[in-house]
Amino acid sequence: MGAYLVRRFLYAILTFFGITVATFTLIHSVPGDPISFYIGNANRATIPKATLEAIRHEYHLDEPLPAQYLYWLRGAVTFDFGRSVLDRRPVTERILEKLPNTFQLNAIAFALAALLGIPIGLWSATRSGRPAERASAVFFFLLYSLPSFWVALLLMQLFAVKLGILPLFGMTSDNYLDLSTAEQLADRLRHLVLPVLTLMYAQLAIFVRFSKSALTEVIRQDFITTARAKGAREVKVLWHHALRNALIPLITLLGLTIPYLISGSVIVEQIFQWDGAGLLYYDAILSRDYPTVMALTVVTALFTLFASVVADVLYAFADPRVRLGEAAQ
Amino acid sequence: MIAPVLWKRFRRSRLATFALYYVGFMALIAALAPLFPLDPNAIDLHHRLQSPDRAHVLGTDDLGRDILARMMHGARVSLTVGFLATLISVIVGSFLGAIAGYYGRVADWIVSRLIEVVLCFPFLFLVLGIVALFRPSLITIMIALGLTSWTNEARYVRGEFLRIRDMEFAQAARASGARDARIIFRHLLPNAIAPVIVSASFGVAWAILVESALSFLGLGVPLPTASWGSMLSDAKNTIDYAWWLVLFPGLAIFTTVAAFNVIGERFRDALDPRSD
Repeated sequence: MGAYLVRRFLYAILTFFGITVATFTLIHSVPGDPISFYIGNANRATIPKATLEAIRHEYHLDEPLPAQYLYWLRGAVTFDFGRSVLDRRPVTERILEKLPNTFQLNAIAFALAALLGIPIGLWSATRSGRPAERASAVFFFLLYSLPSFWVALLLMQLFAVKLGILPLFGMTSDNYLDLSTAEQLADRLRHLVLPVLTLMYAQLAIFVRFSKSALTEVIRQDFITTARAKGAREVKVLWHHALRNALIPLITLLGLTIPYLISGSVIVEQIFQWDGAGLLYYDAILSRDYPTVMALTVVTALFTLFASVVADVLYAFADPRVRLGEAAQ
Repeated sequence: MIAPVLWKRFRRSRLATFALYYVGFMALIAALAPLFPLDPNAIDLHHRLQSPDRAHVLGTDDLGRDILARMMHGARVSLTVGFLATLISVIVGSFLGAIAGYYGRVADWIVSRLIEVVLCFPFLFLVLGIVALFRPSLITIMIALGLTSWTNEARYVRGEFLRIRDMEFAQAARASGARDARIIFRHLLPNAIAPVIVSASFGVAWAILVESALSFLGLGVPLPTASWGSMLSDAKNTIDYAWWLVLFPGLAIFTTVAAFNVIGERFRDALDPRSD
């Protein structure tokens, strides 16, 4: 177990370096003078040559690329990604103030998808092949193919325009500050509904599918047949024997769905003008704010890495085959 | 060859067969789009925002452009990106997977670490970044998609190679003095390609979805070229009454993506010895 964990962490560190190298290489292969990383879209001709040289020297642009990478990496490991070319504020500060908004959206969507999806998936596995189950399978399959931005527009059209019961976009109403605390909470919740729905439904489809196949897989195994053969009631077989084993593979979903959620938040936050990290990334891309782009790319990749390490560790604890199998080698 | 058997099993699903015909129909529309009498980019401010009628079967947008004509041209963009991006990822993925599976050891280790790194990036962040920073165009989109979505193909091919590289036919080829390249590409790869068909079908669906998302975010194929995603983006401004602008392009994306997913699903079942 110990050896397994150590190896997993070493690989994670290696992957982290891979992530930084990939990000750095990608951004630095964009055509153009890298000095624009620091002066943004300001007109170069209006800046004195000496100033440009000073900037080059200050940010080590006069040194070879590998050295530049190491300077950037030194900052990155301490979460110092330099300053935004837009407002000169530290990039880390800009990201930290947006992350809670994105986290709120993603956490609610993830929790709802899991709470609804897992029971539906388990139900499907026990009712496999019956008309109701087949209908729900088709439904969730179609859900998976729906483009989220289209769903967002349809939801907006129905709930905000036609019915007028939910706000079109934003995180709070214009008169938010005049509301009482209870009203403020209600206002925030009302603004959450459509973005959460848009972010959630694809996750829901994944959870249903995954938990269904996990339970189906377990039911096929010998120890379930044994449990049935010794006369255990079906309910007990499912709850006691099958379920705990079926839930273990779901841990991997933690690492698998996080990148999709984060990807989805770019679209959802852009449509609903949700003031989070996804919207920040979108704006940074459009304004070529390279330090912010690089920082967010690394930070979101780190989140995924962290989630997959957590998932692997949990898996090792939950499934003795993983840790014992490793120990035997 | 397994092809005729596979096809026979594939056809057992009526839904999947229908999906295949639907994709063919879409491809036909994309191919014939230039023959359509209406110009997708012709601005006609006298006939802006018209709901579907006889002159404009699917209505017009806020610049009076014909929606049907734009959707037909949008099909060209979607299918081109879908197929070519998938082709790139199949080539990259199969190559790396083959190297990793055949040589094992260091090669396998490097490819596995590479896959781990790529999988860590939230997909849209990477694609969005590449496309926007290198100037959005059809080519950039296809390359960005192709270079970031090869991991599944690589894993499948690697797995197949591990399974078959020491089988008798491979040993026979080696014994007869064939070089590594020949063994890999002539003998092993054709036998390892079946699972790639599955992931390629899902890959096309995925590429179409991502392309339309990019276009929706204004970072796809440059305007005024019509794409389903950018049409939906235009529809945002008139969401309060022009329902046809929201409905039709969205339906096109959804049905095409669903069709490719159905096909992929069917291929998976058809290749799985445990099913029917």
